[in-house]
Amino acid sequence: MIQTQTYLTVADNSGAKKIMCIRILGGNRKYASIGDVIIGVVKDATPNMPVKRSDVVRAVIMRTKNTIRRKDGMSIRFDDNAAVIINKENNPRGTRVFGPIARELRDKDFTKIVSLAPEVL
Amino acid sequence: MRLEKCWFCSSTCYPGHGMTFVRNDGQCFRFCRSKCHKNFKMKKNPRKTAWTKAFRKMRGKEMVLDSSFEFEKKRNRPQKYDREKMAVTLRAMKKVAEIKEKRERTFIKKRILATKKTHEKVANLKELKQSIHVLGPAAEKIKEKVLSKDTERMQEDA
Repeated sequence: MIQTQTYLTVADNSGAKKIMCIRILGGNRKYASIGDVIIGVVKDATPNMPVKRSDVVRAVIMRTKNTIRRKDGMSIRFDDNAAVIINKENNPRGTRVFGPIARELRDKDFTKIVSLAPEVL
Repeated sequence: MRLEKCWFCSSTCYPGHGMTFVRNDGQCFRFCRSKCHKNFKMKKNPRKTAWTKAFRKMRGKEMVLDSSFEFEKKRNRPQKYDREKMAVTLRAMKKVAEIKEKRERTFIKKRILATKKTHEKVANLKELKQSIHVLGPAAEKIKEKVLSKDTERMQEDA
């Protein structure tokens, strides 16, 4: 359950460390879940990297603390709320992805992110 | 569909029940119900929680070493479908379950019998100590003979 004002850790090497959700894309929606694209503002960033503090970025949610329920009856939850910063073509801005990601991203055609991930669950 | 074992209590996680928690280092923790998940969140140790399988195994309340555990093996390679093989496997599963249950039963029976015996021994000794005066003058001899021997033996047993 990601809504506006939610802080997410950034699990890639684009330079941002923390982003705050300011908009959920795709209709007039209140909450976003794994695989949804959001607009965020960079709250914390590492110096000398392409993504700077207070940049407005597109990001896809890859982990949530809130449980997600799958069609096969399995429910899964993660340690933190995390996102990967992406460009207009849904490709990641960074070159690496950290930590496990959910399989939902593959179904939503974020194949580049899935291939970069160390573990898909 | 594979039925995984619960991380906390080692019972089976049936589809649609329980939940999976994925730590940031990628390790999966499966829980069969919210009770187990809550205990995990409270950082309880399953080896110190009386109702879990880990606790019972550690205290010798359940069978740990047995050849029947070798029958069941985890395979990560999917098997090609073979009707004959499936039929054989299904039959074998039934048989294995039967054997396991039988061995478990005998193990528990043995365990209970052993504890019963020691309890009885302690009770008898206690009674002897308490009511030895009934024997009168002969009591002194018996006291020395039986009680000292028995206490020694009990200490050795313990």
